[in-house]
Amino acid sequence: MQDALDENQKVGMTAGQRSRETETTRSTGLPLGYAPVPGTFDEMVDASGKVRAHWQALAEALQARPPLENQERFARAERYLRDAGIFHRDYGESGGPQRLWPLSPFPVLLPQGEWQGIAEGLSERADLLERVIADLYGENRLVAEGLLPPMAVAGNPEFLRPLVGIRPASGHFLHFLAFDVARGEDGRFRVLADRTQAPSGAGFTLENRVATTRAFSGLFDRSAVHRLAPFFARFRDTLQSNQHGQDERVGVLTPGRANATYFEHAYLARYLGFTLLEGEDLVVIDGELMVRTISGPKPVSVLWRRLASAAADPLELEEGSLSGTPGLLEAVRAGSVTMINALGSGILETGIISAHLPAIAERLNGKPLSLAAFPVLFGEMEADEDDCTMALGPAFATLPPFERNSGFKPTERRTVRDKPRAVLRAAPGLSLGPALQSGRLVPRPMILRFYAARTAEGWTIMPGGFARLGAGEQPGIFAFHEGGQSADLSIVSSETVPDVSLIAASGTKAGHRQGGNLPSRAADNLFWLGRYIERAEGALRILRAFHARLAENGDPDLPLLSMLTRYMATLEVDTAEPVPRMLLANIDSAVYSAGNIRDRFSPDGWMALTDLQKTAHRFAEKVSAGDDAAHAMTILLRKLAGFAGLVHENMYRFMGWRFLTIGRHLERGLHMTTLLAHLAQPDAPDGADDLLLDIGDNVMTHRRHYSVTTSTSSTVELMGLDPYNPRSVLFQLTEIVRSVSQLPDSAEDRLQLHRDIRALEQRLATAPASEVDADSFRQLEKDLEAFSDALALAYLT
Amino acid sequence: MRYDLSLEIGTDYAHPVAHGRHVLRIVPAALPGRQHIETQALTILPEPESRREFTGFFGGAATGFAIRHPHPALHVRLKARVDVNAPKWHSEAAILLQNMTGALAVIRSVAPDMPHHFLAPSPRLPRIDDAIHAYAKESRDAGPDVFSIARSLMQRIHADFRYDARATTVDTPAEQAFQLKRGVCQDFTHIMIAGLRSLGIPAGYVSGYLRTLPPPGKPRLVGADAMHAWVRVWCGAEAGWIEFDPTNRMLASDDHIVAGFGRDYADIAPLAGTVKAYGAQDGYQRVDIAIADPAQNSHSLNI
Repeated sequence: MQDALDENQKVGMTAGQRSRETETTRSTGLPLGYAPVPGTFDEMVDASGKVRAHWQALAEALQARPPLENQERFARAERYLRDAGIFHRDYGESGGPQRLWPLSPFPVLLPQGEWQGIAEGLSERADLLERVIADLYGENRLVAEGLLPPMAVAGNPEFLRPLVGIRPASGHFLHFLAFDVARGEDGRFRVLADRTQAPSGAGFTLENRVATTRAFSGLFDRSAVHRLAPFFARFRDTLQSNQHGQDERVGVLTPGRANATYFEHAYLARYLGFTLLEGEDLVVIDGELMVRTISGPKPVSVLWRRLASAAADPLELEEGSLSGTPGLLEAVRAGSVTMINALGSGILETGIISAHLPAIAERLNGKPLSLAAFPVLFGEMEADEDDCTMALGPAFATLPPFERNSGFKPTERRTVRDKPRAVLRAAPGLSLGPALQSGRLVPRPMILRFYAARTAEGWTIMPGGFARLGAGEQPGIFAFHEGGQSADLSIVSSETVPDVSLIAASGTKAGHRQGGNLPSRAADNLFWLGRYIERAEGALRILRAFHARLAENGDPDLPLLSMLTRYMATLEVDTAEPVPRMLLANIDSAVYSAGNIRDRFSPDGWMALTDLQKTAHRFAEKVSAGDDAAHAMTILLRKLAGFAGLVHENMYRFMGWRFLTIGRHLERGLHMTTLLAHLAQPDAPDGADDLLLDIGDNVMTHRRHYSVTTSTSSTVELMGLDPYNPRSVLFQLTEIVRSVSQLPDSAEDRLQLHRDIRALEQRLATAPASEVDADSFRQLEKDLEAFSDALALAYLT
Repeated sequence: MRYDLSLEIGTDYAHPVAHGRHVLRIVPAALPGRQHIETQALTILPEPESRREFTGFFGGAATGFAIRHPHPALHVRLKARVDVNAPKWHSEAAILLQNMTGALAVIRSVAPDMPHHFLAPSPRLPRIDDAIHAYAKESRDAGPDVFSIARSLMQRIHADFRYDARATTVDTPAEQAFQLKRGVCQDFTHIMIAGLRSLGIPAGYVSGYLRTLPPPGKPRLVGADAMHAWVRVWCGAEAGWIEFDPTNRMLASDDHIVAGFGRDYADIAPLAGTVKAYGAQDGYQRVDIAIADPAQNSHSLNI
């Protein structure tokens, strides 16, 4: 086995060297220096060296343009990905660094006729898979008739016993599938793997399409390319029709931000108008699955699950799963929720089941599947003479060879008769397709991922998909962090296809349903995003004032400055650091909170926020105290205002907005209150009043309203009690009252909360300026903290 | 033998818990010919907002419930009158270990009692531990039949391991208890299951109860003050399942009341639950079993 592996690597190396020579020495007459590998099926170029018919328009358009323009076009695609913030983490690398999505902006094309054949084959296969899983969790006739060995089921870690005997609420186990399909050395497409658990990539498929379209806009006629939107529209409509009643909803269940494809979960939820949910958002009440929202529990009847089955319920499935919902199985048993796909559907991905599918198909359908799969061999099965290279791996592994950590290694074996817990899976030679690398097209082994969605009329196959291109000429490595790339897969029709976008396809209701059904966790993240952003702004303003004065005096021990240092120390901000660590921590926390609710953010808002974060961290490495720091704070304040402005201009004014707003005003109110409690004292050092006005951006206003010299009382009035000053404490209270009064308020603790904040506002609004002093602000500080706790208890937990 | 069984099981929380969701698997199983439940009453305090009965894959009765108001403790009480006949084990029909693969291969069912479920890794026994495997191999020569191998392993575990309730918790992995050479019925059961599976013998977990008061002149059995656990071993199609109690070095008898079967503890944990709690939680269990013969009824505790 080890020998075979080494041999393979040697072959790979020779082929790689050969291709490098080719690239540098020979001009091929093909676009961007493309040179097919002789003797291997090439997707773009036929055996005689001519560009295949369905690629011709694209190839000719490229060749007609100056090389510089083409490079400029490809750069557009990458810019789009960056601007849209499209990242991923590698599989098995939860919590690892995010990487920019590796797109080869040159699309892979497939003629409609060929796709049609694949699509029909996949529909047939999807139907078979449905029958198999219904049997595995039902009657088990396949085992009784000897079509599956009992071990394939009873020894299968993906067989989830608590689900046995439960008929899915929708009547079907499978609703959304992916298939990895590849063209072997013989030129025939065959299925490499079934992805039935929670297939990923559909969202990236959309983004690949958008990015690729950017690169090729106006370059060639795309009217013959099948659109992706109708597929998603039909899937969405089907999910919505699975709902039991009017007010019920569809959710996308994600394991959370540490997951490899969290970006995609958020993206799809936003694109389809579904709520992005995590396990802790959900609660089961009397057999019904509910989202914990700010208006109390609201039913969910369809859950598109991107979480592995076993993790879905820590009570009855995997003990100790932190991403699941205790009691979810009770809801499934009660038939109150449709899972997309049914829990336990991962069993269809295991090699030991795949190995038996051909025989099952022949028995159930009376004929072989029209689209064959690459062989998977178990037990007594034996490879045919002409079968391709095989790989040996565990019988219950869910990933096929070529996938990272799949556990498969190339082998000379033709059977696993002597290894009861192993399977052989094909690791075939693959056709090569064009991948764009450093401005040149190079041939790379290709795997296509197709998607199937269940509709009322049966399966519909996405007319397009997701191509993965290997890291080298030999198939083996497709992992993105090891040099693998993705590309848009476009299906080219011989005629113009109708233009449909998802937004036009059906209703505009999506935005209006959000509102009161805002999950408490999302509200909590919005609230804290508001607080952290404002906390950062508060610190920035003080630090700017501090460093501006330091630049003038050069003496950090000046009474006013040492007082600021002491004040900042209470906020754990160290003024000795030009860009204090606590400031960075606040910005990081804001990004973290925003990252938990990516589905609620426009790409622009997200970009502005991460830009602020990057800049702040960069400054932290090089900025020095005094003038330099003051200038840096000004830049950061401007970037922060940019983010706030984007949110203010673009965010839909509903429940989510209110929590963000309450968070911001609460933090600003607290900040100003604390500052006044410290500085508005008779024994405050010289310049304290001016400093306060400076921090509050109120120097000009003060000059207009009061005499030129400042006094403590005029400062307190302007910064504390002025109802028109957007930085005064009273202004914050008024804004909080306005937002709170629009929150749902059925429960008594909530009504009390509303009364309390109104009372606080009234107290400050009617207090005579002469009676307001540092003590009043100290009391107010406590009251605001208490309000924050009460708000969290009433709405956010 | 008729028993009056009473179980108290629960948790005291350091701070009141707002929400709790649990599954109970404590009610004795109905096993035709062996075990008959005459009466049973299950009380949960505080009163749950929702409660549902269902049957687990391996046939045990389960009760799922949710408490959605703050509560400082959870108390569960079970009272049952159970009629138990001593099970008859057909050890003479046990197959030879060398015939196990063939015996498994002819089976065409994945019904809950089928041996294949009990050969593969399971939640609490996810891999074959080399040390346990090496230990189990020493019992292979006691064969060649599966029953004799299992009996030898049971006897050795009983001799080599010390009963020590403080050495382990419900979450201690089998390999750790094996290293310690100490533990309670759950640990001995897991070790024996792991050892048998490593030899290719299907073995599962039985959760249940053991009579508290010994017959006159007999010693009190170990592990009777809490729920008990022992091992079931598949000895071939004809002999079927035979139950071994490694804690007491005996085959299951009419001293043993079955609550349910599983692959390991995780399938049949008496009280599983998730709560949002701060601070410590103290779980407790009290079991009392009395002969339901009027003459001896004075031993029964009224709870």
